[in-house]
Amino acid sequence: MRRTLMACLAIATIVVAIVAFMAAAYQVASLAEGWFEGAGRLTNILFLMLVFVMIIATLLTVAERKWSAMIQNRIGPNRARIALPFLRDRPLGGLPHLPADVLKMLFKEDFAPANADRLLFNLAPVLAFAPSFALFAVVPAGPTVLMNGREIPMFVSNPDFGILFVFAIASLAVYGTSLAGWSSNSKLALLGGVRASSQMISYEVALGLSLVGMMIAFSTVQLTTITDTQAQYLWQTATDFDFGLPAWGIFLQPLGFVLFFAAAFAETKRAPFDVPEGESEIIGYFVEYSGMKFGMFMISEFVEVVVLSGVTAAIFFGGYHLPFGEQWLSRLALFQQNPWLFGTLLGSVFWIKVVLLCWAQLMIRWTFPRFRYDQIQALGWKQLLPVGLANVFLTGALILWDPSLRALAVIGILEIAAMLILTFSRGTPERESSPARAAPPAGAH
Amino acid sequence: MAYDASQDPRQDVRERIYIPELLRGLAVTTRHFLRNLFRERDKNPSVVDRKGPNLVTTVEYPEERVPYPPGYRGLHRLVPREDGKPRCVACYMCATVCPAQCIYIEAGEYDPADPAPQSRVIEKFPTKFVIDELRCIVCGFCVEACPKDAIRMDTSHHTPSEYTRQSFVYDIPKLLKGPPVRHPSDPWQKRAASEPPPHEPSEAHARIGEGIGISYQGLHSSEEAAGSPTAVPIVRFPKSS
Repeated sequence: MRRTLMACLAIATIVVAIVAFMAAAYQVASLAEGWFEGAGRLTNILFLMLVFVMIIATLLTVAERKWSAMIQNRIGPNRARIALPFLRDRPLGGLPHLPADVLKMLFKEDFAPANADRLLFNLAPVLAFAPSFALFAVVPAGPTVLMNGREIPMFVSNPDFGILFVFAIASLAVYGTSLAGWSSNSKLALLGGVRASSQMISYEVALGLSLVGMMIAFSTVQLTTITDTQAQYLWQTATDFDFGLPAWGIFLQPLGFVLFFAAAFAETKRAPFDVPEGESEIIGYFVEYSGMKFGMFMISEFVEVVVLSGVTAAIFFGGYHLPFGEQWLSRLALFQQNPWLFGTLLGSVFWIKVVLLCWAQLMIRWTFPRFRYDQIQALGWKQLLPVGLANVFLTGALILWDPSLRALAVIGILEIAAMLILTFSRGTPERESSPARAAPPAGAH
Repeated sequence: MAYDASQDPRQDVRERIYIPELLRGLAVTTRHFLRNLFRERDKNPSVVDRKGPNLVTTVEYPEERVPYPPGYRGLHRLVPREDGKPRCVACYMCATVCPAQCIYIEAGEYDPADPAPQSRVIEKFPTKFVIDELRCIVCGFCVEACPKDAIRMDTSHHTPSEYTRQSFVYDIPKLLKGPPVRHPSDPWQKRAASEPPPHEPSEAHARIGEGIGISYQGLHSSEEAAGSPTAVPIVRFPKSS
């Protein structure tokens, strides 16, 4: 019982912290906007990237260890303690490991191999880290609200080419990876770099194609417009409290979501697509890195997880919009008088979605074994690519037939239902009788 | 026969389209995750007896310890006598039998004028008794070999960790611990020799026919000696832990 309460308390703390930071982001942006036009976007860089993305990413480093432990029936890191009277005997959920890790990485020797290309060797961590960090610039984390007569946006930049920026910058990250592999002058690192670049190439096309359906459906590539389009309802009850099926990307394009998630997962180079790292065989492109340079690779991986969650939430899960009741909430007097409160609420919804998606990614990472190299290529070229193409044509045809997106949603929900039926038709894995598995299918040997 | 990787053994449509299997896998891990996150951990040191929805099987060692099985003997100790000195008589039996050659003994000689009765009846004692615990293979031969029950493996503790190798070389102060042990066969437990009779032994006993009818008082004195508390053999065994 005590543990349940503590877990709920921890979750509540996360939610409260998100709300507090979001409120602070709106207030600071409003203050800065009074200084000069566009200063709010600069503070958004600070809040969205440094506060939200960086804090979530660093916490994910501990969360990955702790959550993986829970998945595998272990306890996980709990030996680092804080030497204060009341904290001495408390593991604090493994959180003290975070400063301990950071200090360790900062104070370790920054070793470079003798024959490494110094310039590229030092440049590679930056090239790996910066693009994944810059990705978040176009993701809207909250609605644009009116404060003190000025419009306060909650994104860093809102270019017309939104998703294309994501694709362009995401593919830049492979430079850091392959340069790290090449400049280390190590065979294992080079293998990692080569594997990383070939994996990137095979998933880049599928990644692009997977979102074409969404671009067709929403008639835009701008992420703010995509997010706001998802606030509409496909079907809606005629009550005061609005309730219905929102036009979220996951309902319109479940296939596109699966393709995008798989391809983007491959881009983050995490299991089951962690062939470039392959700890058990080649250690990976960062094998020669030590200290904080290795830490840069490490943290860029988690930043990529957060950014991928942000992009996925913005495109497929309605961004900062609530699934229902949002119009009813916006009509409340409290939110009418204080628009920033409404913005805080919606922004918190966005970050909660991001955290949940990060959790989902970590669950996937700790559930599935690594794909073999040929399986990765086969999946990228022979499955994701044709299915993505078919999805584009199907989506286009359905939107031509019914521009209200409802036909698309019907097909999408049918796809989801078919998947669920297939999933549940087999029963839970633990209850399955073993003799059925013992008989190998014909042609297995 | 080599495994034919070119042919996909997955025949089931749910395996071939991968996502249903993927979701089922996620269901398993999520179930484990939620159970271990939200439910209290059973800290029963006997892992197989753990109950409840939490599936963690870890025993967090320094705080929680698995009890040793009843047959476990543990680190050896030198058994003390009642006066606190080791029972060891430095016979070198243990050092001789030790397959790891981890026991080193230097013998000393008791002063016959020592007032302590135990020391007076024993000739030798160890001035040095050293066991290198890093060499020891815990075979128990020394316990078997000891004729004096002076070394035992009944502490039920394993060798504790140390910072230096030298700290694993145990000498008498470190080895000598536990409850003292007494045996009736201990030489200092033996009854003293019979007291001489209180009367003057007379020549008359030796002569045939003389002294008949005189009670032999030495009998009574020996009965008294048997009733004295020092001669009652007391054997105490240490509490088994």
